[in-house]
Amino acid sequence: MSKAELMESGETVAHGGVDLSGALDSLNEKLMDYYGIAVLVILWEVAPRLGWIDSQFFPALSSVFAEGVKLWADGTLLLHIAVSLQRTFLGLMGATALAIPLGFVLGGWFPRFTRFLSPLLNLFGQINAFSLFPLFVLFFGIGELAKFSIIFWSCLWPILFMTIAGVQRVEPLFIKLARSMGGGRRILLVHVLIPGALPSIFTGVRIGATVAFLMLIAAEMIGASSGLGWLVHNSSVNYIIPRLYLAALLIALLGMIFNYSLHRLEAHLIHGTTN
Amino acid sequence: MARDADVPQQIQTDAKIVVKGITSVFHLKKTRTTPAGEFIALNDINLEVRKGEFLVLVGPSGCGKSTLLDILAGLAHPTSGGVYIDGKKVTGPALDRGIVLQGYALFPWRTVRQNVEFGLEIKKVPKQERAAISDNFIHLVGLDGFADRFPHELSGGMKQRVAIARALAYDPEVLLMDEPFAAVDAQTRESLQDELLRIWEATGKTILFVTHSIEEAVFLGDRVAVLTPNPGTLREIVKIDLPRPRHNSDTRSSAEFGWIRRKIWELLQNAPSDARPHPNAVPVADAISPTAAL
Repeated sequence: MSKAELMESGETVAHGGVDLSGALDSLNEKLMDYYGIAVLVILWEVAPRLGWIDSQFFPALSSVFAEGVKLWADGTLLLHIAVSLQRTFLGLMGATALAIPLGFVLGGWFPRFTRFLSPLLNLFGQINAFSLFPLFVLFFGIGELAKFSIIFWSCLWPILFMTIAGVQRVEPLFIKLARSMGGGRRILLVHVLIPGALPSIFTGVRIGATVAFLMLIAAEMIGASSGLGWLVHNSSVNYIIPRLYLAALLIALLGMIFNYSLHRLEAHLIHGTTN
Repeated sequence: MARDADVPQQIQTDAKIVVKGITSVFHLKKTRTTPAGEFIALNDINLEVRKGEFLVLVGPSGCGKSTLLDILAGLAHPTSGGVYIDGKKVTGPALDRGIVLQGYALFPWRTVRQNVEFGLEIKKVPKQERAAISDNFIHLVGLDGFADRFPHELSGGMKQRVAIARALAYDPEVLLMDEPFAAVDAQTRESLQDELLRIWEATGKTILFVTHSIEEAVFLGDRVAVLTPNPGTLREIVKIDLPRPRHNSDTRSSAEFGWIRRKIWELLQNAPSDARPHPNAVPVADAISPTAAL
């Protein structure tokens, strides 16, 4: 190795030292948001083990985790997650497929009829879907259809409201401009109304998805033989406390992932909207 | 619109735009305090614009100048009378007229380039051709390097430039501008005016420009049509003989500029005495521009 090379490598080391402390700073900055979670995890593990709280009702995180590994190994955990997600997706998709076109037709073409309908829609939107569950069971039985319809019902209203509002709040100048260029109905719909209403529609879908997921868990507690809601209910009946915590934790995590993916999808689809 | 049938579909003329006996009446609904009635927004307006001319419509708010522009754009229909472009009656909006609005109306979900290409998409111009055209007009309005930005990343003046580029991109023969510079600050406004004159000279479009600023009208126009409200009437057309090319720095300081401005101001002040005064009428000069009374 020549002298020049040696000097160079020496410099690199010196720079490396500076970079390391800089890297630590930026790492600290990045981790800042997660310190709260870290504290919770540590407390959850330590508090039951040191006897600060009764581990019978509040098992340590590691035993919850062990329960998760056990259920994962025999495949039941994946099944419960898949079943819950599938139900949520189906209901959400069904509601979206109906609510968005309906919202466009009502908001865009029949504004007066929509005004006439809006108190009714408001009323339906305020009805807690869970309180209707016995009715759903009465109409659709205890099977999948009842669970689909409760999710469908709770997603439908927020998406419908937000679509109507989105269509009606599209800037009139945009419509005037598109018309001045000789844009017909199709141009107006595809290039003005849909992109203009999209942010509002997405908000509706996000609200719908959140509500639907919570409703589903509740529905699964009453009438189901699988799913995360059932897992919570079954664990509590059979007094398997770690499993109960596991299911609750998974529900929270899935809800977060759900919301986050919708956020990403929204950011991907909607560019440059001013807030 | 019963009298619409009497308006011929075609007329013989050399003028680019002919406005013939336009009257526009709005029916007011009965409210608790006022009876049902009629509001005459425009009363028998007659006007001819030559090809390549820069005509400015000036008047206080409520004189019907924006209504007239909407009728010219084909977005509104007059109660009677007709508008002719190249002798053919206007029946609706079309791509032979480009429109620039006060509120920019840029689609926030489209980039500068995509906004400029909007009219070309409606015209079904192939994609590659569109890119070449939008490049050209983005360059013309001085926004090179901003093609892929979104409107919320631009200043007010830049947004208005994009709106002008969008209106020019599909090559309309007539440009209709409805108070396009009303929402930007004074400095930006003057530089946009300079720029508009440069673009007009470069493209040779026929421009109809609506404003409530006398200064702006005198600086920009070949002729200024003075409109007075209640009912919206064309008071007089003032010819502006200021030499071109005009520049903000020297044109505005000339004695002639001040004289013409004064003349238009007086025209707006002395609305004809038979005009029915509006219950909440404000002195015209106040309604126009703080600089008008200079």
